[in-house]
Amino acid sequence: MVLVAGGVGTGKTTLCLEFLVRGAERGEKGLFISVTEASAKLMQNFSTFEFFHTDLVNNNLVTIVDLPIVYDRLGLNREELKPGEVDILVRTIQDLVRESGARRVVVDSLTSVGFRVRSEEKARDFILKLAQAFSELGTTSLMVAEVGAVPGVHSLYGVEEAIVDGVVMLSNVRRRGDMLRVLQIIKMRGTVHSRAQYVIELTPIGLLMAPFLKGGRLETA
Amino acid sequence: MARESEIADRLRSFTSGGTVALRLGARDYADNYLAALGLTVRDLGGETNSHTIYVSVTNPASLVWSLLQALDIPSTRLSFVDAISHLMMSYQDTLPNASYVESPTMLEGIMLRIEYLLRRHPSQRNMVIIDSVNSLAVHNAPEVLSEFFHILVNNLKTRSVLTVLFSTSETEGTELDRILALVVDESFTLGGSS
Repeated sequence: MVLVAGGVGTGKTTLCLEFLVRGAERGEKGLFISVTEASAKLMQNFSTFEFFHTDLVNNNLVTIVDLPIVYDRLGLNREELKPGEVDILVRTIQDLVRESGARRVVVDSLTSVGFRVRSEEKARDFILKLAQAFSELGTTSLMVAEVGAVPGVHSLYGVEEAIVDGVVMLSNVRRRGDMLRVLQIIKMRGTVHSRAQYVIELTPIGLLMAPFLKGGRLETA
Repeated sequence: MARESEIADRLRSFTSGGTVALRLGARDYADNYLAALGLTVRDLGGETNSHTIYVSVTNPASLVWSLLQALDIPSTRLSFVDAISHLMMSYQDTLPNASYVESPTMLEGIMLRIEYLLRRHPSQRNMVIIDSVNSLAVHNAPEVLSEFFHILVNNLKTRSVLTVLFSTSETEGTELDRILALVVDESFTLGGSS
């Protein structure tokens, strides 16, 4: 399980989408669990990318699920989920993964689920149980986390970065008035990986990266 | 003309990639610039199985495009990375074959657009023209520009891309000249100094 952490407009959702599409191209089914955006709107946004084809969805290679609809079907209509309901939610997500046959899963975002569980303690419990569930299922999963621009902070609840196998940090960096999208791999258990920062661009053919040039004064946006 | 065809032949010989500085003499600069366009975009870029990526930092791509058309230079196998139109507030005249970078200070953005266009137009002979290194130097500090050229040029070279760097002959002996010396395989001068 990998945490994709970053602020607004840093490319987290697009990165996750490409992760699923590239998997589908290799025959690995994908499941996108959307917490904030309706799937219809997501599909509309995704259609601007050439690498995404609606056939992937039509042929069940990529399944997009609206978590709010799942809440409704489970009768979890209250603003705040109770501890027992957190367990129900985790089991339901586990069932969705099984039913879709997904080998790759995206939850966009953990932060939004966290708003429903309210207390940090319950949020940690949810994340821990979800991690265990995905581990049992043997999926590769990306968990999106909305985090602000605080250096060294990659999670909201302080546990995500410890639980997950990897942390990919996306941020907006200002340099002389220019806003650059920057990607950095903070952690990736069991692999030798770059720790350098890369400027990314979300192009129609996918995410492209270039080394972040060191010259110039920086400030995080 | 003999000089121009000699340079074109020499550029043609970089079959497995390379980096060339094309210095344009200040005297009759406009003529030298047109000659440079002719021997690069027309002579090399017009050949079969080639694609040229023209990075415009001095003039908007729309201006270069109209110039090429006026000169009857076929520009079918040509894409632009325009890093100056936004800054010059001339973004209205966008070209379908141009990719726009908001500022010439966004050097990584220029690298990424070149990368994007190389992937979009895979061909046997790719050429990247940067017009010009002097304009890039106006907007960027020498240390970041040096880093940019080092990464870009070496990356393109490993992919057998010919990179042509336009500059003015006035750069000789300057900091910019020292930066170019580190990345350029060969230099040519068109026309004389003022």
